[in-house]
Amino acid sequence: MPKRRDILAIVLIVLPWTLLITVWHQNAIAPLLAIRKASHHLIKELFIMPERLGVRWHQLADDGSDARRDAGQGPDSKEYCSSDKDIVEVVRTEYVYTRPPPWSDALPTIHVITPTYSRPVQKAELTRLANTFLHVTNLHWILVEDSQRRTALVTRLLHETGLNYTHLNVETPRNYKLRGDMRDPRIPRGTMQRNLALRWLRETCNVNQSQPAIVYFADDDNTYSLEVFEEMRSTRKVSVWPVAFVGGLRYESPKVNAAGKVYGWKTVFDPHRPFAIDMAGFAVNLRLILFKPQAYFKLRGVKGGYQESSLLRELVTLNDLEPKAANCTKILVWHTRTEKPVLVNEGKKGFTDPNLEI
Amino acid sequence: MPRRRSVLTTLLIVLPWTILLTIWHQNPATRYLTILRKETYENSTAKSLQILINVTQIKEEQHTACAHQQESTPAQQTARRYVYSRPPGWSRWLPTIYVITPTYTRPVQKAELTRLANTFLHVPNLHWIVVEDSPRRTNLVDSLLERSGLNFTHLNVESPKSVRIGLAKDSSHTPRGTLQRNLGLRWLRENLILSDSLEGVVYFADDDNTYSLELFEEMRSTQKVSVWPVAFVGGLRYEAPKLNAAGKVVGWKTVFDPNRPFAIDMAGFAINVRLVLKRPRANFQLNGVKGGYQETSLLKDLVTIAELEPKAANCTKVLVWHTRTEKPTLVNEGRQGFTDLKVEV
Repeated sequence: MPKRRDILAIVLIVLPWTLLITVWHQNAIAPLLAIRKASHHLIKELFIMPERLGVRWHQLADDGSDARRDAGQGPDSKEYCSSDKDIVEVVRTEYVYTRPPPWSDALPTIHVITPTYSRPVQKAELTRLANTFLHVTNLHWILVEDSQRRTALVTRLLHETGLNYTHLNVETPRNYKLRGDMRDPRIPRGTMQRNLALRWLRETCNVNQSQPAIVYFADDDNTYSLEVFEEMRSTRKVSVWPVAFVGGLRYESPKVNAAGKVYGWKTVFDPHRPFAIDMAGFAVNLRLILFKPQAYFKLRGVKGGYQESSLLRELVTLNDLEPKAANCTKILVWHTRTEKPVLVNEGKKGFTDPNLEI
Repeated sequence: MPRRRSVLTTLLIVLPWTILLTIWHQNPATRYLTILRKETYENSTAKSLQILINVTQIKEEQHTACAHQQESTPAQQTARRYVYSRPPGWSRWLPTIYVITPTYTRPVQKAELTRLANTFLHVPNLHWIVVEDSPRRTNLVDSLLERSGLNFTHLNVESPKSVRIGLAKDSSHTPRGTLQRNLGLRWLRENLILSDSLEGVVYFADDDNTYSLELFEEMRSTQKVSVWPVAFVGGLRYEAPKLNAAGKVVGWKTVFDPNRPFAIDMAGFAINVRLVLKRPRANFQLNGVKGGYQETSLLKDLVTIAELEPKAANCTKVLVWHTRTEKPTLVNEGRQGFTDLKVEV
């Protein structure tokens, strides 16, 4: 009799004290830091648990960097269950979040089409672009390389970001009459790549799809705020908004009347174009892309600044445009351009290790 | 004797339970860790076994659980729940990264700070110290910082006109951003208390560079000063520290003046915040600094080359790029300006 009571007393004492110490461990403040160090040992104390459930958390401080790298590579398979013990070790885990936000069935998908090409700053551009995209829910990145083959650099980068992506490539034909391997200057840059992405969407997506989607053309050197993606999500046909640093201005923007309809373009350069808007200034509902399978960017014979018109005139009229960004009064995307880095000190033979990827 | 023992026992039982109840009562918003179980084992048994732990300080957790099965278990699948938020929750276990960014007003400023913020929003325990080169803190930067959700400090100090316009005597290399970086260091020294438990790293991040997320995790473990390669500096694809077989820094793989004490770019090193506080006199030299020697002017007072800690896989990976943004052409604005100046760009 007394024995059972002793055991009960011991449990009633030990349990709350260990819980308390765990709580204080969580709330470690400077004066309690010393206690924390002492209780670190106690944290590994054993809880008695029923056999059916085993729990094991990891202390980030011990294997922090590993935990973070694992988080970027998929499920951690280093766990093991203590299958034959009743008593389980309890350690806490924290992970760094570099994953995109979880997919939501309620939000339209945004298909972002980005043409890209190899040059020194490519990896830097794609890295910071990915860092922005990683915040956007339901984003599908369609990256199209201007190359003969999909490069290892881009393949690895896309895989490491954890983004939802499709990796395509098509090479713009070179104009051999020109020096070096200059591409055919008659074809505006990125056109074939954007068209390939449109074709991929038409071949992959079902017209009768229930979940709506938006298509956006994002060049790899522009700067995007997170708001622009939320603005474009509600696009029914084609939505438009201002873009900074285009047309030789601080920004170009659609002209919106009192009724909230687009009736013209606030630009200096050729404001009479059907769609005097930059590639980064509009988004198209996927349904429209699928309903008009002939609509593509014109490859040849396109005057400077008319490339966007060559696609949009097949899809929509001025009247149907939906102005976003507070009736086109806010700048949410900037047409930034990155300087070409100076590599004079590489010399003829190259100074740095060409195997080291930049 | 037995009486005293039972009193003691009662006390030992009652005391902790009352403390626990008080704590739980005081923190109704406390979130409790729940153990995630594999779907096949989702039943009330799991819920009844929740371990209650106070996690108010930590906003997001990712839990792994492994269900212990009595029958033969197939794969040890872990149930994961990604709790996503911008920025990731502050953690007590990670050293804080204090990022000092000097900035100045120009057309691309908002764009640069926006994409920088988009990167920083992924990094846990990041404290962004933005120092404007201006007589007053501007609304543009103020509202950008507020809206970003980042942990930040907004400072300003105006450089003398000669420095800003670039008319300093040493016109070959005017150290831009020096006053601002020094102010950032001063803020740290005035606001942090040096103690053995203070953990943090100071990093100078210019607003037009490009940073990978891996870089921040590399620098977190800095004990004194850590170094790594930087792309697009010194007229090269990248500059990097030279390491010997033992993994110690012995020199610099640069073409431009490799004999500088620290031939490294501003973006290529990080300093333990305790070291910054221990050496309150160590600052960037403002005047009389030769081109390429600005980093040296600070580092020479903090560390010797032998004490440098190489990161990024022994300085074989490029995790930061010294990109520069073109100045946009605004010719069509004309004399009077075409666009509405009230629209912030």
